[in-house]
Amino acid sequence: MNFNAVPGLVEVKQAHGETTLVVDPARLIEAALHLRDELGFNFLSDIAATDYLGWGGKGVSGSIATASGRDLNRPSTQGFQALPSLKPKRFAMNYHLLGVRAGAPRVRLQVWLDEDEPVPSVVRVWPTADWHEREAWDLMGVPIEGHPNLRRILMDDDWEGHPLRKDYPIGGEPVRFSGDE
Amino acid sequence: MPTKGPGVFENEVAAMEQAVGLTTLEKAVAWAQTKSMWPDTFGLACCAIEMMSIVSSRYDIARFGMEAFRSSPRQADLLIVSGRVVHKMAAPLRQVYDQMLEPKWVIAMGACASSGGMFNNYTTLQGVDKIVAVDIHVPGCPPRPEALMEGIIRLHEKVMAGVPPAYELRGVAS
Amino acid sequence: MALAPPRPTIYEGTRIPAPIPTVLQVPRELREGEDILSVNFGPNHPSTHGVLRLVVDLNGEEVVGLAAVIGYLHTGFEKSMEQKTWWKAITYPERIDYVAFQYNELVFVLAIEKLLAIEVPPRATWMRMLLCELNRIHSHLVWLGTAALELGAISMFWYCFRERDRILDLFEMACGARMHTRYFQAGGLAEDVPPGFFDECAKFVELMPKAIDDYEGLVDRSPIWRERTKGIGLLSADDAIALGQSGPVLRGSGVDWDLRREQPYLAYDKVDFRVPVYPEGDVYARYRVRMDEMRESVRIVDQALRRMPGGRWIADDRKVVLPPREELHTSMESLIHHFKIVTEGYRVPEGEVYVAVESPRGEAGCYVVSDGGPRPWRVKFRAPSFVALEATATCMSNALVADMIAIVGSLDTVMGDCDR
Repeated sequence: MNFNAVPGLVEVKQAHGETTLVVDPARLIEAALHLRDELGFNFLSDIAATDYLGWGGKGVSGSIATASGRDLNRPSTQGFQALPSLKPKRFAMNYHLLGVRAGAPRVRLQVWLDEDEPVPSVVRVWPTADWHEREAWDLMGVPIEGHPNLRRILMDDDWEGHPLRKDYPIGGEPVRFSGDE
Repeated sequence: MPTKGPGVFENEVAAMEQAVGLTTLEKAVAWAQTKSMWPDTFGLACCAIEMMSIVSSRYDIARFGMEAFRSSPRQADLLIVSGRVVHKMAAPLRQVYDQMLEPKWVIAMGACASSGGMFNNYTTLQGVDKIVAVDIHVPGCPPRPEALMEGIIRLHEKVMAGVPPAYELRGVAS
Repeated sequence: MALAPPRPTIYEGTRIPAPIPTVLQVPRELREGEDILSVNFGPNHPSTHGVLRLVVDLNGEEVVGLAAVIGYLHTGFEKSMEQKTWWKAITYPERIDYVAFQYNELVFVLAIEKLLAIEVPPRATWMRMLLCELNRIHSHLVWLGTAALELGAISMFWYCFRERDRILDLFEMACGARMHTRYFQAGGLAEDVPPGFFDECAKFVELMPKAIDDYEGLVDRSPIWRERTKGIGLLSADDAIALGQSGPVLRGSGVDWDLRREQPYLAYDKVDFRVPVYPEGDVYARYRVRMDEMRESVRIVDQALRRMPGGRWIADDRKVVLPPREELHTSMESLIHHFKIVTEGYRVPEGEVYVAVESPRGEAGCYVVSDGGPRPWRVKFRAPSFVALEATATCMSNALVADMIAIVGSLDTVMGDCDR
């Protein structure tokens, strides 16, 4: 499938049999409409926001496998420190799209955002995005511009903070051990 | 085949029964409470599915007179908190507990209700006994229907022995 | 690019409310003219399938406004999984959709295996498929029992749970636990299938079609059941796709879409099964889809039993899979591998994948980002129940209070799946 005509296209990545289209956030709606109307991706499966704060901070030593595949016969790279590839900005919004027709084509639409940089809402393109975007706002703090009902959905209405961010602590209670007391 | 003798729990209950010394009337009241202790429909998560299977015909809670799960907490005696309780649900849980009339008992079913289970994080209540007074904790993830049944039977034994419900013992505002 | 096939129009135009697609708002003239009553259903309610809260505006018996409030079971799965190694994290997804537990496990394990590019032996693949189809029957039985219970057909509950306990016996035999079996590992299965399992499973396959006949005999031709489910909760095919519906809700609206057939995973391309599609788009159509799916699942289990391959049950990759315990006495490398895998955990190469399977509720997906280390960086589950609840406002046009119960029941939402 030819993705060269997608508006705002920055990069096309292919890995593990999946295609990722990196798009400029300012032209997200145009890209979404193009994908839905011209290329037939009429089904929005999922919107996943990811926080890359601290990515690549520590080397992942001796990564035995590479992103392209694994070969047990290749000598292992244990001992070489490998760093994961750098990310352009802190947050990524991934829109997983599917075309409901023979062949089940899937594509991932990806936009990169700084902290508090808003992303336009795709509710008018795929109405199912309503709750997915509310969840991205609630848990990750990605502001959605133009969303008709941007309120917290999973956390309490008066919760402070965005729990799934990497600088938000896991919370809970420290485990007490009988030997300590 | 030798029959199973009384274990630690049974001995303690028997000792308590001797110590508390119920009158015949109190024993009759305890018997009546035990034989028709109606649970409230408070199924939250996975443990609720195992709680539903205890109602089903194989494990049959109806032989204890408990198949009548009341939807209204005003009509229920027993609150089986089955599933993980999160902070957002803590207020409705406490409200339901407050609406129940005394005497009322609480079974914390499963690891999540007893102690937060495997979820030690920002949103899960680390044990429902932080907000309500729990009589029996049933371990398991989820506990088998037989395990829940043992918890229920032990609760019945406690009540028959004259042990007051947990809110009288724990000092948690009831 | 092939055009999509023509879809049935169950009603004209679209019924998705505007401006907010998931909130049915009371029209202004009604709010000013009539006496609108706002009622709160839940979160503790016998008929709302767990902790769902519906804020409903009623004009007499008719539902004129609806908003769903969720989050009463948000357990923080995704953040908890980021703290654990890949192996330990597999324990978490099962509790997400706690009725179809092995599907969440399956989708997470498939995502790990996709990143690892590890080859799973055929015995493990076929066994996973068999267990997942048993889990599909289990999920539909729980749905049927509770949905019928809410509509008043109370005795269905006991009939359905009779067979459900038999399925849980099979799980206990193979996997060691009734629910939340934790049997799938990255690379295959945790242990080989115990002897006697296939005979018991064959007995179950014999009796299940007769049990489904029993269920249909109880409700299918009952005039009360038909009155309460036919023509209720209409959802057109275009609205269903726009709202991201999948699974029985989508197939009940006439869209012939099943991930097992469209993008086969496990061994679904090697077994023969039909995909039930009903064009009416109402509660009755979704009920019929699930009943037929149960029969098809029994057929798949039967074929898997006959064609179960022998051989290894887990891959041979010692960097990911524990070595057999006998080897620990003799081989130093096995001991070191065992130690490293258990303490530090195996490392999954850097990358991001999205894997989707056809769970009983629809498309269950898992988006995994790995940084090459022993712990997941980000795990996001695409929950079909979360999306199914988005359709409540659309299905609720001209519904009465009693219909609302039937409609929410027919969407088959599990709140653990919805809130994660």
